[in-house]
Amino acid sequence: MKHFVPLLLLILSVSTLKGQSCVYTIEGRVLDLHDNTPIFGAIIKIDGSDLFGQTDEQGYYKINQVCFGQAKLVVSHISCDPIDRTVTIRSDVKLNFELEHHINELSEIIISDDGLNQVNSSVNESQLNADQLTRLSNQNLAETLNSIAGVSSLKTGSSIAKPMIHGLFGSRVAIIANGMRMQDQEWGADHAPNVDLNGFESVQVVKGAAALKYAGDTAGGMILLFPERINLKDSLYGSTVLNGVDNGKGGSINTRLTRSFDNGYFISGHLNTKQFGDRQAPEYNLTNTGLKETSLGFRLGRTKILKGWEVNYRRFQNSTGILRSAHIGNIEDLLRALESNSPLRIEPFDYVINSPKQEAIHQNFKATYFNQYSDRSKLKLDYNYQISNRKEFDVRRGNRSAKAAIDLTLKTHDFLGSIQWKKDFEWNFEWGVNALLQYNFSNPETGVKRLIPDHQKYQAGTFLTGNYRPSNNFSWEWGFRFDQVIIDAQKFYDTSNWISREYNIRYAEFEQKDFGTQILTNPRLNFSNISAQTGFAVGIGESVETTFSYMLTQRAPNVSELFSDGLHHSLASIEYGFIGLQKETSHKLILGINTQNKFLSIGIDPYLNRVSNFIFIEPSGVELTIRGAFPVWEYQATDVLMWGWDAYAKINLSENLKYNVNAAYTYAQDILDAKPLISVPPFSLFQQLSYTFPKSELEIEMAHRFTAIQSRFPDTNFRVNRIESGVIVQQEVDISTPPNGYHNFDLYFSLPLAKNNFKSTLRLIVQNLTNASYNDYLNRLRFYSTEIGRAVQLQLVFNY
Amino acid sequence: MLFASIALTSLFISCDKDEDPELIEEQELITTVVLNITSDGAANQTVRWNMDTNQTPTISLQANQQYQVSVSFLDESDPADTEDITEEVKEEADEHQVFYEFSGVSISYTSGQGDVSDSANNPLYLNSIWTASSAGTGTARVYLIHEPTAKTSTSRGGFGGETDVEVDFTVVVSE
Repeated sequence: MKHFVPLLLLILSVSTLKGQSCVYTIEGRVLDLHDNTPIFGAIIKIDGSDLFGQTDEQGYYKINQVCFGQAKLVVSHISCDPIDRTVTIRSDVKLNFELEHHINELSEIIISDDGLNQVNSSVNESQLNADQLTRLSNQNLAETLNSIAGVSSLKTGSSIAKPMIHGLFGSRVAIIANGMRMQDQEWGADHAPNVDLNGFESVQVVKGAAALKYAGDTAGGMILLFPERINLKDSLYGSTVLNGVDNGKGGSINTRLTRSFDNGYFISGHLNTKQFGDRQAPEYNLTNTGLKETSLGFRLGRTKILKGWEVNYRRFQNSTGILRSAHIGNIEDLLRALESNSPLRIEPFDYVINSPKQEAIHQNFKATYFNQYSDRSKLKLDYNYQISNRKEFDVRRGNRSAKAAIDLTLKTHDFLGSIQWKKDFEWNFEWGVNALLQYNFSNPETGVKRLIPDHQKYQAGTFLTGNYRPSNNFSWEWGFRFDQVIIDAQKFYDTSNWISREYNIRYAEFEQKDFGTQILTNPRLNFSNISAQTGFAVGIGESVETTFSYMLTQRAPNVSELFSDGLHHSLASIEYGFIGLQKETSHKLILGINTQNKFLSIGIDPYLNRVSNFIFIEPSGVELTIRGAFPVWEYQATDVLMWGWDAYAKINLSENLKYNVNAAYTYAQDILDAKPLISVPPFSLFQQLSYTFPKSELEIEMAHRFTAIQSRFPDTNFRVNRIESGVIVQQEVDISTPPNGYHNFDLYFSLPLAKNNFKSTLRLIVQNLTNASYNDYLNRLRFYSTEIGRAVQLQLVFNY
Repeated sequence: MLFASIALTSLFISCDKDEDPELIEEQELITTVVLNITSDGAANQTVRWNMDTNQTPTISLQANQQYQVSVSFLDESDPADTEDITEEVKEEADEHQVFYEFSGVSISYTSGQGDVSDSANNPLYLNSIWTASSAGTGTARVYLIHEPTAKTSTSRGGFGGETDVEVDFTVVVSE
């Protein structure tokens, strides 16, 4: 923790610089929505003050001496009722309003600032905007989010990563793409979400189950992906991004194009393709770590102010190579890999992706309809159909490597309907229902025991959420959600396992058919989950904001936790689900304190999470097989206490020189067994210093990440009897001890290339500048190789 | 309302429950390792290591006598249909290697009659000749290695690759 001390000193020394708080300016333009003509004579007033501005002939307005904090802007124009909009003032802002002039009954205004919708005001949210996403456009979702405090990634090798929030991942973190939850996170830890960020414009991370509308079982948090916002005017626009990277000798091209019309119709599409060969670690080639990915999407719809509809389709396909050396046969092979300083199989660079590899195809169809029946209530309906196929290929005998060893198809119908209404401007409510139907099919052609059984999942939920905002300094939010989850599985058990676990006594009613060595069972499991959330945001004085939030979440065990059954080729372990798992209940408290002025903003968000019946996997014994003794890992439940904090500071050292730092720490303890939890992110610190040259607008940024050693970990080691020079020697296979901490430096150059109608940018990005050789505790393949070395990337962005 | 009805209809359409899932016969499973040991003037021995019984069988040898040892790998998961995986090993001789390692006893082995070699003329030791130099009791460990990085070595580590089979037999060598 010694690295925390300088950070504290920094915070103390800068927090004394308090700026004046009524120094901000709001300015902008009010335009006609349809033809972009300026609207003259509109009045923009800050409610509860004497401050106001009036638009000139060009539609411009300006309000000076605005105070820090929330401000309710009331915009009025002849023949329109005044309309209010609340914004948070933290710096000078530009707010453009577009007035819908042509529809008579309409008195609605759209704010077109750069901000994003706030999902929940009592939990601090972190966002990445379009620019930040573009910069990272050839990376995956989890890597992209790594610069946010409290977000880390659980990796399997160099290109498979799952996002982790506050040390939790998988089913405990929902990914909400364009308003619907992605349904591909229930298959276990070693695959990435099937989503390409290039199809979206912005990403928001909410820590905790703050948006009960989407899900009530996400103790970790939610990642919301928003598509591009459509201009409500006649226009054609798009962008193309080209990336080339030396490490892996690959790159990506992605392009998107939108055509919108002033009557509200729009059509847009995006296409992204990416290919890499083997990545390079500083000291060797990472054989078979290539990647191929293609994603495309279309949106078609009509957005008007009061009504709208949209249909959209997205398709994502990838093929990801897994380090060849990580495919092993037994624990002696694992021990040899641990003893070696480099992978046991290193071949020359190649683009070909051989087994072991993963292939995924995810298709997503969605239809949305909304209608605002009066200025007080709005109906929204969403239907979503997802088909997700995942194949895994192992190194197999007898030319079977070309045949998938795992071949799963998950089909999900998901319906979300909600009504929002307002009362007296201060009260907002939303009530809705969510129904989900899911089928999983495991292709029996694999010739390998099903990892995940065939099953159906039915889920029905309802929620009611609301908020109360009586003043700019106070808001209160609350919500409830109830879900009923039914899992109906058809699973084969090895008869010997079924009996040795006494399932034949405890679950005799599930038995269907006896096939001798295997038994077909039909477990039907039923879970009722309650979730609730409440929070406050209170402004103290002029520049301090505090938030407090409590969340209760209940989560039904997922199918892989209940039923998974298979061999893990990179850990030489046998994994079993546990049919007797009960729902998991989490109580999470998040506090947020932040203060902001022109020069500085700092904040700290401590949290506490008490989970009972926390489902996790841990070694439970040894099974003797034809390949020797194998450790058995089995899902089980315990009680867990987690706490931690995320902190950040942003300092504007001068107009052009900016410094940014954030840090996160997580503590997680298994209370029942009095030992630390496995795979918990260690302390990390991320800092960025950026300078923009005033004339050329060339931006140079240096980023540094420090990841400490995780000193709290459970002992999951086991022993192996090896023959050495004619003598049997017992040796420990140390898979528990985390690797050392590491420093990682990145460098960015970004140069805008102004051309008449194009806003183009050229970027040079160097990741792992020092070509440091290190291992990451949260990489499940850390035993086999170090992380990838220096990568130099050239990026060209055209906006048109 | 249109979308709601589409959604609900599709929910009901797909509600038909499928038939029972198909039983999967594991294709690459090896359940049994059989050593067939013959020698002039001694009784034939057939020792089996089987996944279900998983007991350590005993091999009895006499010091300084040559034994022909042939190894076979079987899939006996379906008792009615035993599969001989040794055939696959022979067909993919370049991708496989059999290796014996001993502890507590001093046994050397060479390629035997009818053994199979890979394309580089390295014997696979599916048939081998064993000779024990002195009396004692110990362990014989049988490996089948898939995609070894080297085809000749004196230790398991030297071969690299993935272990497909690793089973122990007790060896008793008498004078």
